Amino acid sequence: MDIRMAGVTKVFEPDIVALEDIYLDLDRGEFVYLVGATGSGKTTLLRIITREVVPSRGQIVVARRNLRSLRASQLPYYRRELGVVFQDYKLLPHLSVYENVAFVLETIGAPARVVRDRASYVIDQVGLWRLRDHYPQQLSGGEQQRVAIARAMVNSPSIFLADEPTGNLDLHTSEDIMKLLLSINAAGTTVIVATHDQYLVDAYRQRVVELHQGRIRRDEERGRYFVDGEL
Amino acid sequence: MANFRYALRDTFRLILRHWGLSFLTLITAVALFFLLGSSGLFSLNLKNLVAEVENDLVINVFIKAGEDASGLVEVLQDVDYITDLKVISPEKGLEILRAKLGSQARAVTLLGENPLPWNVQIQVIKADFVTPLVRDLMSFPSVEEVVYAGQLAEKLSLASLVMNRVSIAVLVLAITITALVLYNTVNISIYAKRGEIEIMLLVGATNTSIALPFVLQGMLLSTFGALVSVILLAGAYQYISVMLAGTLSFLVLIADRVLLMRFYIILVGTGMTLGWLCSWFAVHRYIAEASWPD
Repeated sequence: MDIRMAGVTKVFEPDIVALEDIYLDLDRGEFVYLVGATGSGKTTLLRIITREVVPSRGQIVVARRNLRSLRASQLPYYRRELGVVFQDYKLLPHLSVYENVAFVLETIGAPARVVRDRASYVIDQVGLWRLRDHYPQQLSGGEQQRVAIARAMVNSPSIFLADEPTGNLDLHTSEDIMKLLLSINAAGTTVIVATHDQYLVDAYRQRVVELHQGRIRRDEERGRYFVDGEL
Repeated sequence: MANFRYALRDTFRLILRHWGLSFLTLITAVALFFLLGSSGLFSLNLKNLVAEVENDLVINVFIKAGEDASGLVEVLQDVDYITDLKVISPEKGLEILRAKLGSQARAVTLLGENPLPWNVQIQVIKADFVTPLVRDLMSFPSVEEVVYAGQLAEKLSLASLVMNRVSIAVLVLAITITALVLYNTVNISIYAKRGEIEIMLLVGATNTSIALPFVLQGMLLSTFGALVSVILLAGAYQYISVMLAGTLSFLVLIADRVLLMRFYIILVGTGMTLGWLCSWFAVHRYIAEASWPD
């Protein structure tokens, strides 16, 4: 089991219940869509996995690490096993495409040759080699999202988290991004995608976990965005 | 090693990206370390001056007629704060008097028998010791009279104490201002880079590797500021020394090159340490909060 949540609850001050009693098991190499309305708890769930947020109650074990008893000194090493794509990309505007990707490896102290080879490889993988010297503001939304994906996959994470990776992108670009995520998953990486994109969820059928007001409403293998008959 | 290389590169990026702020910090650091160094040099020279005047303070003890100084000298030899002890016999005293009078030395013969008593001249380490020593000497049975620059000794002692306190206050003030300016500069850099820090934390950078460029930035600016201030200070000190030698020749500034060099090295070292401490506190506080949510 790659991720196991048992009774995970998160209450934000003063009394906002973001997640309640979540039981969720994910096997290694699974692809899961997290769906649900805005405010249903998708982002909070991802942030609990990255340990940006600590559950108020319950247990969470990710990659054999119990996040509630994880020591501060172990957190950086745990996070190196995760690749995260943010809703707003979070690219560094003063760094080029290449530097944004290489930056991840540099911060974990990888040797210069590894940084150069690996960063070049993933930039090529996401199809941005010709734009490697461009800056984020010179790129389209889809290209920026590709840079964010390249940055998340550059240190070969075992778990890949993407928060609304196709939000604000046109259909064609969204499909490209989706194919990229599927190829990452095909290499054995566990992928969790929080999304609103009904078309993609239905087109590329995978496991669907639906959150509603902080609770799991539905967990289906090869599910659709909406429950049959809902529309 | 790779980490340190990246940190060094990021440090220069930080400094160059916020070059206006870096330049202002550098100028402030130069001004503050100049102030710190000036107050340090002033204090050193004042101490030196006080010490020199103290060294020249002589307590003259005159022994009663018909007695000699041997008993007193025996006691004084065991006092550890006495730096110099001279015993002048009546004959020697007369010789000195003659030498002082020069062409009028013959007048001494008018005195007939040598009227001078035994005289003991005492010098002590610090002016503080003069008054209690005089009190002890007065109670000695063979002592007729004690002559010393009583008020001068007390005033010097007080001046030395006040100057020490003023110097410490100026040093503390200058260090505090320097520390606050550096702390704020690093804080602003951290604020400007909070997005970057957030991503660094999420991709698994350790706190040390995140903090290193900021700490190096603070250290570099502070050390360089201290270095520039030392160059300015050394030039100004040299100029003032030469100027005083020509106009107020009795006021001699410290010219001991080794002592001055040590002082300048300490000033640069203070700059480096202060830069390191301020940056470390600023960045550590921020990262500790950002990296470990409760």
